[in-house]
Amino acid sequence: MNGRPDAPPIAAIAKVKNAMRLVAVDGRGQKTGLQVEQTLSDARALCPDLEVFDHDERADAALLEAVAAWCDRYTPLVALERLPQTVAGSCHGLFLDISGCAHLFGGEEAMLDDVTARLRIGGLLAKVAVADTPGAAWAVARYGDRPVVPAGGNEKALLDLPLACLRLETQTLDILRKLGLRTVGCIAGLPRAPLAARFGSGLLLRLDQALGRVEEAISPRLPVPELSSERIFGEPISLQEDIERTAAQLAGNLRQRLDARQLGARQLELKLFRVDGHVTTIAVRAASPVYHAERIVMLFRERIAGFHDDLDAGFGFDLIRLNIVESEDRGQEQADLGGNAGKDHGAAFSGLVDKLGARLGTDRVQRFVAADTHIPERSYGLVAQAAAGGAAADQAAFWRETDAVEDRGAPQVITRPIVLFERPEPVEAVAEVPDGPPIRFRWRRTLYQITRSEGPERIACEWWRDGRSGHSRDYFRVEDEEGHRFWIFRHGLFGRETHTPQWFMHGLFA
Amino acid sequence: MQGTRHRIEALQKAIARIDRRHESFARHACLHADGGEGVFNVGSIDAAFKDGFPVFALHEVRCSLTRDIGAATGFVAGLMAGCMKHLKGRIVWICDPACRLDGGRLFPAGLAMFGLDPARLLLVCPTDLKSALWASDEAAKCGDLAGVVFQVKGNPACFDMTATRRLMLKAQHNGLFICILRQGGGEEANAAATRWHVQAQPSASDPQLEKGIGAMRLDLALERNRNGHTGHWTIAWNQLEHGFEHVPTDIVDRPAASFDRPNGAPQMGQVVALERAS
Repeated sequence: MNGRPDAPPIAAIAKVKNAMRLVAVDGRGQKTGLQVEQTLSDARALCPDLEVFDHDERADAALLEAVAAWCDRYTPLVALERLPQTVAGSCHGLFLDISGCAHLFGGEEAMLDDVTARLRIGGLLAKVAVADTPGAAWAVARYGDRPVVPAGGNEKALLDLPLACLRLETQTLDILRKLGLRTVGCIAGLPRAPLAARFGSGLLLRLDQALGRVEEAISPRLPVPELSSERIFGEPISLQEDIERTAAQLAGNLRQRLDARQLGARQLELKLFRVDGHVTTIAVRAASPVYHAERIVMLFRERIAGFHDDLDAGFGFDLIRLNIVESEDRGQEQADLGGNAGKDHGAAFSGLVDKLGARLGTDRVQRFVAADTHIPERSYGLVAQAAAGGAAADQAAFWRETDAVEDRGAPQVITRPIVLFERPEPVEAVAEVPDGPPIRFRWRRTLYQITRSEGPERIACEWWRDGRSGHSRDYFRVEDEEGHRFWIFRHGLFGRETHTPQWFMHGLFA
Repeated sequence: MQGTRHRIEALQKAIARIDRRHESFARHACLHADGGEGVFNVGSIDAAFKDGFPVFALHEVRCSLTRDIGAATGFVAGLMAGCMKHLKGRIVWICDPACRLDGGRLFPAGLAMFGLDPARLLLVCPTDLKSALWASDEAAKCGDLAGVVFQVKGNPACFDMTATRRLMLKAQHNGLFICILRQGGGEEANAAATRWHVQAQPSASDPQLEKGIGAMRLDLALERNRNGHTGHWTIAWNQLEHGFEHVPTDIVDRPAASFDRPNGAPQMGQVVALERAS
């Protein structure tokens, strides 16, 4: 809101406790005396030219999420603040665990300056603090005056701060205030047992967390990548070739570490941090563990080519990071006596799967798996070839019918169609007797006269899925005058389950 | 004299290099050494090809009506499972999204009954035809496959002479069986080595069952053959031996198709795929 120097104060409003109240107020409004939770009519009385707009919680959350994504440039451990509404001072905040990261930005103070400066460029005013514990940082960011608490200086920094800095419920705070306890120092020295008896364990827990006597973990919004490599640019880059070249370099950096652990990447992501704070994440999945830089870059190249619109580079990317999200043991490459690395048997195939999966989406490159049911449309499934354990699962590919083909010889008669309709299509059929095969039927507006038929093959419904009222199916293989062979079924047994059974077309034979 | 012969040999080699066919010829030769006989094991069909059926090339199988897609798919499955048993390896089956609307989907249990292991199949279902074409191009580049099937609906404009020629060259170069399975499409000039038109035929009678359905029969027309002559046969699938066999028919109950004339008489009217009633 810094971009409106001469404009009147502005506030977001929403209906709270049956009245329109202010939810957020800008700096000038606060100076005028407007407060959060004030009713709109009171606010208008104080400040007649107040501008208001509706509070949009979702947009707030989306903005916070975007800022959190942007904060990934500082540390992989970014957590959203999730405090109940009843806690005093709860608002949208982020926790960044910067252990081991600060030196990369020239120390904690330099890092803080960098964060605030960059956020201010983006139009956001941020209150930041660094401390040993999340609780102390929360307190100092809101109520402290010196943003960096030196290591071990928690107690000294917190003692003079108001009790509200301990993330306490508003009710508890009211009682404490009535008792004359106003600062952290007031309760830090008190005997613990009476405090716990009067206020429950919550107060002491928050106190201990802030002072570092009890460990508090933050829950990062994203899992930490197994390996990661990044590159910062002084001058932002925007060409796709440059991005690919950078990805190749980063993959090259990771190669050594992958080699040392004998791992290959199964799932990777490339994070592109745009100058204006937007973060683009490109995720790819490989069918088999990959570690060659060219293979990894190929995945990203195809993925980018598969986007419906181009990568929006804006004013360029100033940080590019390659993360390995999931890795897997890779088989040893065996070299022959001449020293040439052995050519992996399925390398070309898994390369193809990777390429197709990267461009079209891994869920569009599938293989069949058998399912243990007799209902035809449920008897098989399609799973992504690149899904976990792709290569291993192929070896153990289990198919009952295939076993049958090889062990006991082929079945004498072909009883299953080669083409199946996912949704059986209703047909108008005429049968000689209600439970016999049809003699003619109309499918897709064409009339078929049946000359031969075999059946029925009865497949009962799965009562554990479809319920007790599900109907059985009587499948018939029928052939019309011209020789088309169809698989059609009657839904429901005549007399027992229904009096007007319906017919459906389910498949085509060769 | 000696010099001339050397030069001719050198020229022949150069031509073979230009054609990029040496590799496929090598694999072709292997194939014949394995099988001994023709691919189809049906004398009259194999005789239609001068140097045997060119396995490693682009082929087209089409059916003019959507309801015949079962027959056409069965012919392709039979070809891969029965006639090319020695081609072990994966099969990439690429499906144009338009096909899935009314053509149904492959049923693995049915494929398994043809002797084609569904676990060998890699199904690719892109969202548009352009990506499907790209996928077939990529698959054709891959050496360790047994075959690529590209199922397409009708005669899309972008799947033209250039696109098919590219597939043909890759098939020959990489030693791949590539098949266009055209669902409800007309005849079209393209680079494929052969074009087959498949229609269902009333099956043989079942000796054990009155009104039973016997061995499935197909009406097979070889409409185009780059290396030999065309023909028209009725074939049956032999489930015991997993192969096709010729069924001699005495009575010709349909007018001869236009496949063996350079310019067939245009068909009366137009075949329109109707929308689903439901």
